[in-house]
Amino acid sequence: MADVGLVDVSLRDGNQSLWGATGLRTAHVLQVAPLLERVGFRALDYSSSTAMGVAVRNHREDPWERLRLTRAAMPRTKLQFIGTGFRFISWQNSHPDTMQLVYDRLVANGIDRVVVLDPMHDMDAARETARRLKQAGVEEVIGALTFTISVVHDDAFYADLARQMAEWPHFDRAYVKDPAGILTAERARTLLPAIVAQLGGKSLELHSHATIGLSPLTYSIAPELGVEVVQVGSGALGNGSSLPEARRTVANLREMGHRVDVDDRALGLVCDFFDGLAAADELPVGQPQDFDAAFLHHQIAGGVMTTTRRQLQEIGMEHRFEALVEEVGVVRAEMGYPIMVTPFPQMVVSQALFNVIGERYANVPDQVIRYVLGSFGRPTTPIEPAVKDRILDRPRARELAAEPPPPSPAELRTRFPKGISDEELLLRAHMPEEQVDAMLAAGPAPRHFNPSLAPVLALLGELGSRSTVHDLAVAKPSLRMSVRRVSEGISVA
Amino acid sequence: MVGRVADSRRIGRLLIANRGEIAARVVRTCGRLGIESVLAASDADLESLPARLADRVVRLGPANAAQSYLDPAAVVRAAQGVHADAVHPGYGFLSENPSLARACAATGIVFVGPSPESLEAVGDKLTARSHALAAGLPVVPGGEAADLAQAQAVAAEVGYPLLVKAVGGGGGRGMKLVHGPDDLAHTLDLAVSEAAAAFGDPRVYLERFVSSGRHVEVQVLGDGSRAVALGDRDCSVQRRYQKLFEEAPAPLLGDGLRAEMAAAALSLAEHLHYRGLGTVELLVDRERGTFYFLEMNARIQVEHPVTEMVTGLDLVAEQLAVAEGLPLRIRQEDVVLTGHAVECRINAEDWAHGFRPSPGRIDRVVLPVGEGLRVDTHVQGGSVVPPYYDSLLAKLIVHGRDRDDALARARAALGLLRIDGVTTTVPVHQALLADPEFAAGGVDTAFFERFLASRDLVGVR
Repeated sequence: MADVGLVDVSLRDGNQSLWGATGLRTAHVLQVAPLLERVGFRALDYSSSTAMGVAVRNHREDPWERLRLTRAAMPRTKLQFIGTGFRFISWQNSHPDTMQLVYDRLVANGIDRVVVLDPMHDMDAARETARRLKQAGVEEVIGALTFTISVVHDDAFYADLARQMAEWPHFDRAYVKDPAGILTAERARTLLPAIVAQLGGKSLELHSHATIGLSPLTYSIAPELGVEVVQVGSGALGNGSSLPEARRTVANLREMGHRVDVDDRALGLVCDFFDGLAAADELPVGQPQDFDAAFLHHQIAGGVMTTTRRQLQEIGMEHRFEALVEEVGVVRAEMGYPIMVTPFPQMVVSQALFNVIGERYANVPDQVIRYVLGSFGRPTTPIEPAVKDRILDRPRARELAAEPPPPSPAELRTRFPKGISDEELLLRAHMPEEQVDAMLAAGPAPRHFNPSLAPVLALLGELGSRSTVHDLAVAKPSLRMSVRRVSEGISVA
Repeated sequence: MVGRVADSRRIGRLLIANRGEIAARVVRTCGRLGIESVLAASDADLESLPARLADRVVRLGPANAAQSYLDPAAVVRAAQGVHADAVHPGYGFLSENPSLARACAATGIVFVGPSPESLEAVGDKLTARSHALAAGLPVVPGGEAADLAQAQAVAAEVGYPLLVKAVGGGGGRGMKLVHGPDDLAHTLDLAVSEAAAAFGDPRVYLERFVSSGRHVEVQVLGDGSRAVALGDRDCSVQRRYQKLFEEAPAPLLGDGLRAEMAAAALSLAEHLHYRGLGTVELLVDRERGTFYFLEMNARIQVEHPVTEMVTGLDLVAEQLAVAEGLPLRIRQEDVVLTGHAVECRINAEDWAHGFRPSPGRIDRVVLPVGEGLRVDTHVQGGSVVPPYYDSLLAKLIVHGRDRDDALARARAALGLLRIDGVTTTVPVHQALLADPEFAAGGVDTAFFERFLASRDLVGVR
């Protein structure tokens, strides 16, 4: 029997996996924050540079303000940021000092746990990022062991990474991150103990997506293999391509004889909130998934798969879909087995698409060129030399190689108005000006959201916009509501 | 860096040992925070709206408050019976009773309020006064009067007119006005014997009578080591020391005076190492342009919503947070006041007959809703207002851009609010809001009695 902790990923990975990163706004987060705080999660997967960009771009909401208000609403639960260490919001790499400023401001606004996610497993880069995070005052730095199935990613490979994380003082813990949800219980039985043996007493967490229904089983046996914390999604934001659902996970772990110290009532309220939100905003609800053997082969996430099929359809090449899936596997090998986690699935699939519809590597997207130039770090295994030469031997590659280095914070400050906060500077430096301006013009974000009121508020909003409606009365056995238009703009209920 | 705390006591289940609108108010915050609310209700309140809003209800005792809401043993029994982690005492009843706080502590239950030591420090008027002096606050000139000789000595210093106040009194009870030296001996005798009978404590003290004073109070919140001041409220509209109307911030106060009052309240809270919500009541002497410490209320106040409206804070949530042992999450520089808020206390009282209580069955309730409007109530159509407790039915709280805007919106909202079946004080508030002297702001505590005397109240019906 073990004590098992939970990390909830609903706000970040759940929202990203199931709701395209756009489902949650500040009002939603602030409404559920006090409930999440009561559950007793070890931490929340809270934000990423993608999530911060979405807040500005899609919702015109200040992600820094959201973070500060969330922290005020939940002083006890660790709030996690996940990042690669190279970039903030945009796809271009940022100056190391700019990244330091990002970390400093994240900590000042309430982040106290950061995942260093380098899917390339470039340990030199990861160590440097961890050092900078500690310098910023991050309480807990977690090294990611990103799981995939390939000829190079064997147990010994991960055990060696774990050893390096154990040796580097700026990593506090590690987690196995399985973005594709392909870690079987069978593989876990050898992989997890091999990692734990090398971690030198540092704690191990497990994060395995429920995409093909494997992870609930893996989670059930993980504690006996040395995993101390499992990561889950709550209610509508669990299952599907998100993580295993929280309540089911708790029940399973207890069934296996483990202790999970959470407030079950509060957890139920959290799940109810996300369920209610999904219903009110017509967002999809994560469902338990069937096992899909083919997925183990191509490892293309559902969203990318759907988009790609649609793109092929649009150019009348839907019949080449099987060939494309095959080519994805080939490109991935030639690229040195990048793990299929953002941004690499998009990169590999788009290159495979070009290769299928035309001559191989005749067309190469900028992202692929940057990858080959090393902007994303050092690949796990060398890029196929012939392919590398073919990609770099073109004018665009030379242009990108000659790009000036990214500006330092001091240079950035000269480009933007004097007196703006560092937080605003970082948004302006990495996002189009008009998006930041629109966010500021929109003013403070709403802070309350009650899913059960959503239909009534929609009704009132519609009525308010129709000046011909003067009176409305709704009568039900349990409710009587009347609305009348009056000059002061006050209605009666 | 915004702090995060790992070691503190979580409240999963809260027993609310109170009734009426404040019980409904606490239930609402519990719902928002994911805390399970258990209402401890007397027999008269088992079917009340708060009882239906709470997650659970437990019987506290008979309707008679002495055997229910005023019985610390009954409250602790109820809390233990439902395995509550904490007790919220609301206001009134046992909210400032050190013995309940101690009984909770003895049984491992969190008392959502200050420490017993703080309750004792401010519960007794003389002790409170000495703490205020120690914290550097100005107090109304005066002193203890154990006998006539001592009273004459104090009176010589203070001057006439003066007040004789019972140490155990409060809320306007146990005070007598002395106009001149000839009345002192007689009034003192009367006050001592009345104090002994009414409060079980014969001690009295003398205070300078401020002929034109405003009742302004400062809201404070402390975590035991640090405190913040959350702005002031004016509660000068009173009838027999019962507040009828409150507003935040207090109108027409100079910036310097306002800042001094906030600083004074803070220094008292810090001096007491105060943990919880508290209100430092101050008397503003309109003629001298100065203020004196009156008393400190160690609980949430009826009029707390006006402060919530202008600060944007949920004071019950803050109260629960510090009770859980969390450090304050608000810094003084984070406290920003926006606009102006007013509160009308709607009572079940027959204003045309000396404000006598008007209990009974409510037939219909219509509440105004809208941006900046809030009604805290415990009644709905079919509710019964029992005769055993206070007569507060609802608080209409209105937030506006400024005082004029808030008053205009309050007038409109009052016109829409209906509580049928019992006689209410709504017409009094309508008349009050229409009064030019009141609308100008800054009235003193004698205003309302003058206002009542000056008009034919039947005319406002």
